Amino acid sequence: MAQKNLLTRQTFLEVAKASGLRTKGPHMEELYTYLKKILPGIKSLEELDLNNMEPSTPFISIKEALE
Amino acid sequence: MNSTEICYFTASQLCRLIQNKKISPIEVVEAHLTRIRSLEPVLNSFITLLDDQAMAAAKQAEKEIQEGRYRGPLHGIPLGLKDLYYTKGIRTTSGSRIFDTFIPNFDSTIVRKLKGAGGILLGKQNMHPLAYGPTGENLEYGHMHNPWNPKLIAGGSSGGSGSATASGQCTLSMGSDTGGSVRIPSAMCGLVGFKPTYGRLSRYGLTALAWSQDHPGPITRSVEDCVLIMNAIAGYDPNDPTSVEVPVPDYSKALTGEIKGLRVGVPKEYFQVPIDSQVKKQFWKAVKRLGELGAIVSEVSWPMYHHSMAIANTIMMSEATAYHSKLIRTNGSRIYPPARLRLEAGFFISAIDYIQAQRARTLFYNQSLSVLKKVDLLAGPTVPVTAFKIGTDKVKINNTWVGAIPLLTQYTRPFNLNGFPAITVPCGFSDDGLPIGLQLAGRPFEEEIVLRTAHAYEHSTDWHLRRPPV
Repeated sequence: MAQKNLLTRQTFLEVAKASGLRTKGPHMEELYTYLKKILPGIKSLEELDLNNMEPSTPFISIKEALE
Repeated sequence: MNSTEICYFTASQLCRLIQNKKISPIEVVEAHLTRIRSLEPVLNSFITLLDDQAMAAAKQAEKEIQEGRYRGPLHGIPLGLKDLYYTKGIRTTSGSRIFDTFIPNFDSTIVRKLKGAGGILLGKQNMHPLAYGPTGENLEYGHMHNPWNPKLIAGGSSGGSGSATASGQCTLSMGSDTGGSVRIPSAMCGLVGFKPTYGRLSRYGLTALAWSQDHPGPITRSVEDCVLIMNAIAGYDPNDPTSVEVPVPDYSKALTGEIKGLRVGVPKEYFQVPIDSQVKKQFWKAVKRLGELGAIVSEVSWPMYHHSMAIANTIMMSEATAYHSKLIRTNGSRIYPPARLRLEAGFFISAIDYIQAQRARTLFYNQSLSVLKKVDLLAGPTVPVTAFKIGTDKVKINNTWVGAIPLLTQYTRPFNLNGFPAITVPCGFSDDGLPIGLQLAGRPFEEEIVLRTAHAYEHSTDWHLRRPPV
């Protein structure tokens, strides 16, 4: 089964532009290929049941979390 | 004693000789500077050498010791710093030519403490650009080379610290570890590398990669040396908002050699990912040795281990891009291309993805604690392969090609995500003479158990006594 395209080329270019990246040059093609490779890993976190989980923040000490 | 012998003394050995005035800090520093001059063309471990400052500091140390003002075990000991520790008046490049002329106007907290303890800074060490990579490759300042075979990577990102310490160019080094950058070069160069609990060592004055996963850590040739440096630098720092105000023990008291009854767990998930057969073989031999020393070894299950890379990656990429966002926009074309790629990719991770990853991190943290309620320590290989050729993108393991970067960090990153203390100690060599590391990790702020076990294991073997051929 074909993998869902998580980032179309048009969206890629729009986000790149909005982020202030230089959208011209050969490295953009490399970036697009790289993103298509890593985004499924990021989206795989959706498989986890995060009910009742609050985000970790490094500004709360680990010691407090342990107690 | 000859110059090479001096360069291969551990800090624990050197400090006794210095304190008893059997050797002068000047002699020690001269020996190291001579060795650096001879090995730098091969290993490229340093970005900035501080010959004059080091000699001046050695003279000062000599004077103080002669006058009876001995400061402690680091007094007169030559050390190196990964070039992302801010040093007052000395350039700090973070491994990137963009910062070639950046001179901080203050010392990082760790540098201040090391200087206060009498440590002598020999130079700023080479590193993967912006610490964003685990191989120790750097086209801008030149690649770092492994002293066991200079054609191979030293590991990264603290590659210069690893190659310099392993080759006797300095006695101790300080690296930093966001996904394994202290432990990976230490394992690949045959050293001890320690990442204490998140919050135990101050990050103040270190260039960040990902705030919530960055850990400073020592790279040494023995566990005892690791303890010496920890005793000098550990502790609360109000300048670091993530520093934790908990009492710091005297770590030297942990080195009892006694691990009888200690429960050591080996996660079964570690063997569901690619691992070289020789690394696996040496790891199980090390586990057997821990059992012979009295530890109770068992298999444990840590299912979320398999999600840890995705969680850590999402957080690291978001934080790294946030930290460097201005640089990427204004100077993107000057950033080391592989680092630039990853930094630019961070713009495509949404705030929701980041928060979800932080929620997943809580889940991972809770599960890690549950596993460490059943056992006192987790044991595993530090890196699943030995050092490979510089410029390698993929590594062949059991007839399958695997991406080099995720492979290098697969065992180290989980402990950047949960912040637990983890150490690597040498546990053998491959058939072609390359070092292999054993990783031991413990519960938060229980560094003593980790250090005690690593020390007991180290003293039951002679792997740490082998010297590279350079």
